[in-house]
Amino acid sequence: MTWTDLRQRVRDRSVLVFAIVVPLALMTVFNFVFADLEQPTPGPVTVAAAAPEGDPLAAVLVDTLRGLEESAAVPVTVETAEAEAVPEAVESGEVDLGLVVPEGFGAAVRAGEPVSVEAIEGEDAGIGGQVVMAVVHASLERFAAGTVAATAGAQAGLSPGELAAVAEEAATGGPQHTLVAGEAADEQLGPSASMVAGQAGLFLLFTVSFGVLGLVAERKQGTMARLRSMPMNPALIVLAKAMVSLVLGIVATTVLLTAGSLLFGVDFGSPVAVAAVIVAAVVATTSLMLVVARVARSEEQAGIASSILALVLGISGGAFFPVSGPGLLGQLMDLNPVAAFTRGLGITAGGGGVADLGAPLLVLAGFAVVMVLVARLVPDREETV
Amino acid sequence: MAETASAPARAPEGATEPVLRVEGLVRRYGDLTAVGDVSFTIAPGETYGLLGPNGAGKTTTISMVAGLLPADAGTVTLAGEPMGPRHPAARRHLGLVPQELAIYPDLTARENLRYFGRLQRLRGDQLRRRVDEVLELIGLADRANDATKEFSGGMKRRLNIGIGLLHQPLLLVLDEPTVGVDPQSRHAILESVAALSGEGMSVLYTTHYMEEAERLCDRVGIIDGGTLQAEGTRDELVRLTGGVDHVRVSGEGDLTTTAAALRELPAVQQVDADRQGLSLTVRDAPTAIAAIVTTATGAGMTLRDVEVSRPDLESVFLHLTGRALRD
Repeated sequence: MTWTDLRQRVRDRSVLVFAIVVPLALMTVFNFVFADLEQPTPGPVTVAAAAPEGDPLAAVLVDTLRGLEESAAVPVTVETAEAEAVPEAVESGEVDLGLVVPEGFGAAVRAGEPVSVEAIEGEDAGIGGQVVMAVVHASLERFAAGTVAATAGAQAGLSPGELAAVAEEAATGGPQHTLVAGEAADEQLGPSASMVAGQAGLFLLFTVSFGVLGLVAERKQGTMARLRSMPMNPALIVLAKAMVSLVLGIVATTVLLTAGSLLFGVDFGSPVAVAAVIVAAVVATTSLMLVVARVARSEEQAGIASSILALVLGISGGAFFPVSGPGLLGQLMDLNPVAAFTRGLGITAGGGGVADLGAPLLVLAGFAVVMVLVARLVPDREETV
Repeated sequence: MAETASAPARAPEGATEPVLRVEGLVRRYGDLTAVGDVSFTIAPGETYGLLGPNGAGKTTTISMVAGLLPADAGTVTLAGEPMGPRHPAARRHLGLVPQELAIYPDLTARENLRYFGRLQRLRGDQLRRRVDEVLELIGLADRANDATKEFSGGMKRRLNIGIGLLHQPLLLVLDEPTVGVDPQSRHAILESVAALSGEGMSVLYTTHYMEEAERLCDRVGIIDGGTLQAEGTRDELVRLTGGVDHVRVSGEGDLTTTAAALRELPAVQQVDADRQGLSLTVRDAPTAIAAIVTTATGAGMTLRDVEVSRPDLESVFLHLTGRALRD
């Protein structure tokens, strides 16, 4: 039954158009339109730093910034300057950022006394300047941590020499700040990858409708009565249509993600993990179409309902642009199968494996279970006509 | 309960068990009783017609017979096995020909037959042989590999019936198979059904065409308002009307005098006069017609036309329900 249905769908060709051609065309168009929205990359930053001589902690702070000079992600150049010259250098645009470490900085830190480091941000500092500022903040927090450690040591009865060593180690030890260009395993996709994933998720809803909504067409053309008169369990008819949806959905989404990856230079990561996300998303969207097939009285109704659902879930799931909502709305949007699909691909693109896909796979599986239960609760049209 | 025109519908004692036994079938939709307490049987090789107007409950009845709808009460037994949505096994004995064209337009005639044949558990050589035989039987062998969307309405109807025959069921159920069909195709369909019955297949045939029921069916059940009003052979049903014929005598003359003279004839039960002539209710009109003509002309009437109508299933339906089949 599934094979015959698939053969009809392929002969019909509309499934090829809706499942492959249209989404690929849309991906291409959107990629051109939103090309300027590519993820902003930080530009080079020049920092004028003034630090008191003979202050080892002040030197550590400046050296931390110098460490960024090796970074490919944020090209930072640190120039040593006199404290009085720093504001003027920033004002004139000679440097993007000025940093003035005051006299007695190290002593104040060691004593746990408040001390201010003056940071002057130029107009053109941009994202690179913000990154440098973040590094300075992080360094100062480490120094504060050193003070806390020393205080705790004093209360524990350490000698002054031991206290100094603990404070120094806490403030300056540990790994140096590093900033490297790489994939963040934080579920975020770049614009191109997001577009490919979103469009694949959106059109997945259209694609699976070709299988399950065949139930409505069978009712209309009278073949459903004939199928139900066959010597087999009627549930097999629904199962066969669901299998058609699963096959179409898996094939079409795999083709779309592969083609999208090749066309737009996107890497979604581990094929096994991506396959898990695809299968879970196809099962979830197919279950949604089971509800539509139960509720719809005609092919027209089913087509309209599935299109509305596809657009609503696609748009709110980030098929066209990232969408987020506050509070309960945001939590509900997280339950959207398209959003879960995109999030899953974000995890795989960030280097995650199947073991890292717990949340999106759980959402997709839960969605599928709920939809199947709803479909079972809706009265069968065959018995109410 | 249905009026039984003659012998009970069940097969006589000692004869083969009925292929289909329907007992006390009831189906309700809310407050509406679509089918109420319908019972009948079909013997092996018998063609049984369910005759009734649209909305009489024919399709609901055969939907329960075919196991598509659960009955609210009653039982259906096919070849001795219980039938219903939860009893798929018995459906192997059933061939259903729905009123709609239950075929796939994008598949060829052969692909349609092979598809439904596989669902009927035919395989391999048996499937190939049966597909070829059915294509020959329905006259589509030369169009076997054409997509059915290119077929005429009549060709689709024939294929629709052919699919029901494919697995050689014990019972073929046809739901108004000639609705919307041109006269030539209709004739071909009726010929096919008659031939199947001749080959020993039992047939359940629903129609609202009286002439189809009279032509095809060994026995007819007249259904209206969801209940079986009567059942029996054509002659048995006609006897329910009293077995009288109608004669219409048209012409000029003294109609009152002529009517009085005709009332004296033993075969004549009733005479009504109007401006154009006389309407008579007569027992055995073919025998009495000569006396009627002689008496009318002897009373001075100049005859223009004499028309005899014998009672048919339409008359039976009118007699039982007080309205015409096509009301």
